[in-house]
Amino acid sequence: MNKLIDLWDIAAELQWVIFIILCILVASSVAWNLWNFLKPGKLVQELLVRTRSWWIMCACFIVTTLAHPIVTHVGLAFLSFALCREMYPLLKLDVRERNVVLVCYGVIPIQYTLAYLGMTTLFLAFIPVLMFVFIPFLLVVKGETQGIVRSISLMPYSLVAWVYGMSHLALLFQLPDIPGFTAGPQGLLLYLIFLVGINDVLQFAWGKTLGRRAVLPKVSPNKTWEGLVGGVLSVSLIAVGLRFLTPLEPWQAALTGFCVAVMGFMGDAIASGIKRDLGIKNSGNAIPGHGGYLDRLDGFSAAAAPFFHLVYFFSVTSAA
Amino acid sequence: MTHGPIDSELFDAHVPKGRQWLLWVLYKLMWRTFFGVIIGLRYHWSKTPHPLGPVIYVANHNSHLDGMSLMTIVPSHRIHLTHSVAAQDFFGNSGFRRWSMKNLVNAVLISRSKREADVDPVQLLDAMIRQGHSLILFPEGTRGVPGVMADFKRGVGHLASRHPDVPVIPVYLDGLYRNLPKGRSIIVPLGGTLVMGDPVYFPEGTSVDDITEQTQAAIHNMAEELRQQNQVPDHGR
Repeated sequence: MNKLIDLWDIAAELQWVIFIILCILVASSVAWNLWNFLKPGKLVQELLVRTRSWWIMCACFIVTTLAHPIVTHVGLAFLSFALCREMYPLLKLDVRERNVVLVCYGVIPIQYTLAYLGMTTLFLAFIPVLMFVFIPFLLVVKGETQGIVRSISLMPYSLVAWVYGMSHLALLFQLPDIPGFTAGPQGLLLYLIFLVGINDVLQFAWGKTLGRRAVLPKVSPNKTWEGLVGGVLSVSLIAVGLRFLTPLEPWQAALTGFCVAVMGFMGDAIASGIKRDLGIKNSGNAIPGHGGYLDRLDGFSAAAAPFFHLVYFFSVTSAA
Repeated sequence: MTHGPIDSELFDAHVPKGRQWLLWVLYKLMWRTFFGVIIGLRYHWSKTPHPLGPVIYVANHNSHLDGMSLMTIVPSHRIHLTHSVAAQDFFGNSGFRRWSMKNLVNAVLISRSKREADVDPVQLLDAMIRQGHSLILFPEGTRGVPGVMADFKRGVGHLASRHPDVPVIPVYLDGLYRNLPKGRSIIVPLGGTLVMGDPVYFPEGTSVDDITEQTQAAIHNMAEELRQQNQVPDHGR
């Protein structure tokens, strides 16, 4: 693969994927503005706002990915932190569990440091084994047992869902050298970001155009079978097309794309269920047109760990 | 009106050089970043441009962070001319607190008790507005019960009725008490929202009680509006 810009010293694959992302953003911005100019309406207004947010999100993701690995780790850790911070008040974990909430925040830098130092075994055990005992114990030590089952279940869940899952993206930096693979962890990271992002967009698009039958009518009426199937199939194809970012064979890439799309959908559905129970529409309004951090990152944090393990299995375990 | 002390005796309007820079760095840079990135405070800005002259900011009060967050929405060119109004008995009871309230928070301390010896707070604040300074008032008078708004004291009414040309900007603060509740000293980031209302001008002759009531109602409405924005509509997401 040739570099687009010779003087820019990042891998050719990364240059190409950034070029593709820019093309999609420019094309959609032009298309929506043209549509808005010819026939203004509510849908196109929403699309314009969403696209503007995508520009900003893509810029942030690309810059943090291409920067020094420490910056990437800090950026990912911030996303975990933002998810927890957004959800704790909504889950009513605030005044009583204050100190334990602080411990949960403290877990985030530790988990990402373990990833950065490559202490993989401890990384894998730290939250689901150690914190799973330690945090409920801290809650019990306070001596107030009223409603403690709720906080005992919620706090380790929050860590596994939003910190443990997401931190597997930092673990991509610890993959051993794979012969013939030049895009590096940055390539894999952009690959996943691209797939999860395009999965949301395509499920939205297929659902809006063809959607008839809801998958989960009681949880989220906007998710339709047509959107789900269309999204999963097209993401599998895109995953094959973009496989130059990965060490995967075509069929492996297709399977990875399929899993990412399905896991993304599952994460999305779980988040919808949580929001429905809490009686809120969006988890926040940090990202205009999309909602809060959870509304955008739900699929991402659910797909991260499966993605890591698939890549590891295909390119390290089975290749050895 | 009786002849009281003249304005400059009550309040020295001179701000040392460098205070503006210090406050700008502290609030527009450090606290603003801290609120935005760490605490996750969301700002709902008012649609109308900020008035150029003196302003009375009025907000509900549940946490020590309230005053800090209010300072971050003050325009840069007026930050050294904007003073939180704080209680003498709480913030003035040690030398360090007095020093930091004056230099780092730019606050003015007033007495909450009604003793003869004290300067009348309204007279002092009135003198400050007349010399072109802005005020940040928490008319509930204390941080009170978390998440519950107490009835407003009439100080806002007294000040606004004397200055029909000075607008009142109501601000609703939601959730900051979770980050730093009363009686705690560690900040645990848990988000929050700051809703900045449109400036309200009260025409000459509006009574003190009316102004107080209307300001309180404005903040109540903002709270209600924010609550409704986040609810699920009846049909689906």
